[in-house]
Amino acid sequence: GDKNAAVKASTELTAYKNVNDLPPPRDLMIQIDQKNEAVLLPIYGSMVPFHVATIRTVSSQQDTNRTCYIRIIFNVPGTPFNTQDANSLKFPGAIYLKEVSFRSKDPRHISEVVQHIKTLRRHVMARESERAERAT
Amino acid sequence: MTDGHLFNNISLGGRGGTNPGQLKVFSGGILWKKQGGGKAVEVDKADIMGVTWMKVPRSNQLGVRIKDGLYYKFTGFRDQDVTNLTNFFQNACGITPEDKQLSVSGRNWGEVDLNGNMLTFLVGSKQAFEVSLADVSQTQLQGKNDVILEFHVDDTTGANEKDSLMEISFHIPNSNTQFVGDENRP
Repeated sequence: GDKNAAVKASTELTAYKNVNDLPPPRDLMIQIDQKNEAVLLPIYGSMVPFHVATIRTVSSQQDTNRTCYIRIIFNVPGTPFNTQDANSLKFPGAIYLKEVSFRSKDPRHISEVVQHIKTLRRHVMARESERAERAT
Repeated sequence: MTDGHLFNNISLGGRGGTNPGQLKVFSGGILWKKQGGGKAVEVDKADIMGVTWMKVPRSNQLGVRIKDGLYYKFTGFRDQDVTNLTNFFQNACGITPEDKQLSVSGRNWGEVDLNGNMLTFLVGSKQAFEVSLADVSQTQLQGKNDVILEFHVDDTTGANEKDSLMEISFHIPNSNTQFVGDENRP
C-alpha cells in the first residue's frame, strides 16, 4: 500500500509527457499552463516547465524604480510538511533546484503570475489531499 | 552540389533570451548573423569540439561547443534539417552530432553536470536547463547544503526577454556523494 502511494505521487508530478505537449513558444516570460498544472520559466532562452506541486512558495517585491522581483521556492527534502520527502528516499543522490528569482519590468504581469501560481497550487494540493484521504 | 546549407530564422539563445538570425553551415565552419545586423557568431571548423541535437517544443536545437569552453545554441530547425545537417556535419566536417534529450516532466530534482563553463540540470538523465557559469557574478554557500548562483544583470546585449533570471539555488542533500567535501561546488 505504502509503496503504491509513493509511486503514484511521483507519477502525478509529471507536467508533460512529450516535448511537443508544451504550449507554443511565446514571449520569453514566466507563463502558467493551467491545463498541465505547470509553471514555465524562461532560462537561457528556453521555457523550462516545473509542475506546480514542486513549488513551495512564491512571492514578489517591487523596488523604487518599478522593477519587480519574483521569487519561487521549491520543495526540497528536510523541510516540514513536505510532500517530497518520499522522493528523497527514492532518489537519495538527487540535487534539488531550491529557488529561482527573476527580475521583471512588468509589475502587473508579475502580480498576475503570483496569483495564478498560488491559486493553481492551492487547487492541486486540495485535490491531492482529498485523493489521499479517500485512499486511506 | 553547393557547399553548405543556409537557414533563415534561426535563433541564437543565451542569457538575455533569443535573437533571430541567419545561419550558414559550410565545410569551413558555422556563421550566424543577427537579423538586421549587429551581432555575428563565427566558428571555425577546427574550433568545434562537439555538436549536439536536441528536440525542443516545435523545433530542434543545435548545440555547438567550441574549444574555449563556449557553447552556442541555435534553435529553429525542422526535422528534415536535422537529417540533412547531420549528414553534412559527418561528411564535410567529420563531426558526428550527438543526441540530447529535453526533460519536460516538471520535476525539480535530478543531477547537476558541469562541462566547460556550462552547468546542466538533468532530470532523469535528460536536460531540464543549462546556464553558463560565465554569467555568474557570485556564488554563495548557504548553510551546509545550499549553493546560490547570482547572475550578472544584463541590460545591454540585446536582452529581449521580459523576465530575467537573477538568482538560482540548488539544495544538495547530505546523501549526495557527487559534490561531497568541496566548498566551491557547483
